[in-house]
Amino acid sequence: MNEIVNNTKTLPRRSISQWLFNPFSFVAGYQALFLGLGIMLISALFGFLGNTHFDGVLDVHKGLEAPLWLFLAEGIINWMSIAMPFFFFGLIVSTSSLRIIDVFGTQALSRWPYLITSIVMLPKATERFGIYLLSRFTSMAASVTMSYTDMLIFIFALLVTVIMTVWTVALMYKAYVVSCNIKGARAIVTFIVSLIGAEALSKLSILLLFEHL
Amino acid sequence: MKLLPTACPACNSQLKAKSLICTHCNTEIQGEYELPVLTRLSPDDQSFILEFIKSSGSLKEMARLLRLSYPTVRNRLDEIIERLKKTENPEDNNGKENP
Repeated sequence: MNEIVNNTKTLPRRSISQWLFNPFSFVAGYQALFLGLGIMLISALFGFLGNTHFDGVLDVHKGLEAPLWLFLAEGIINWMSIAMPFFFFGLIVSTSSLRIIDVFGTQALSRWPYLITSIVMLPKATERFGIYLLSRFTSMAASVTMSYTDMLIFIFALLVTVIMTVWTVALMYKAYVVSCNIKGARAIVTFIVSLIGAEALSKLSILLLFEHL
Repeated sequence: MKLLPTACPACNSQLKAKSLICTHCNTEIQGEYELPVLTRLSPDDQSFILEFIKSSGSLKEMARLLRLSYPTVRNRLDEIIERLKKTENPEDNNGKENP
């Protein structure tokens, strides 16, 4: 039993790029689920503090103040909306005997870059710039005064958000491929279909949730 | 120890054993023998199968030993199964000569 542990030839090298883009080679199942749920909880807390709503699988918006449970619910809805179609396609397309805990666990963890987004969105400058832009587009009188610092903070937050969104999509794809063992064109097509469906489902669910506030 | 070549370096066809020797008494047997299916796999795949058997066929145990996630180990096993199926397919056996 110890032979394999001590045999460096058979043990995988864990490079930084693997940790960044495919941590699911090493982490899956309950471990990924608990890590992902923990990160989701912290992201919701930061979202609550900065009024940053994750109101869709790939959506990040500054919005109105809301109770903490709503930010938590957004995270859970987004996670479930994407994990369910992946599991469904996994059952249909994959020839492997996949485990539900791997699909849901890895998908929970794949959303971790949004923790960084929720942190960079904390400064009030991002909110002020959002209100300023809205007033410009709707021809309403601006209710906030803008500074260069606000603009710089907003641009920085926007850039980070775009990068984190792309990163999240890359991680979601990797999580899907590893947990369901689907490759090639079938993986790409079912991933895109799932993502579009999940975006619509999560948007609708969160909108319904807002209506009941 | 030298690795057992399983494919022809010139045309990549499956190699067969023509001669076997007892290193104790130098008895040599000539013939044409098929290589066992498992020997046709890569050394890495063979090592994986060996460890899998030692782990009583437990993917969880394999994942723990290799420090990989369960689905990664399962996917690796599925890939080896696919390769074994390809190795065993009837097209290969069509070329088999009389035993």
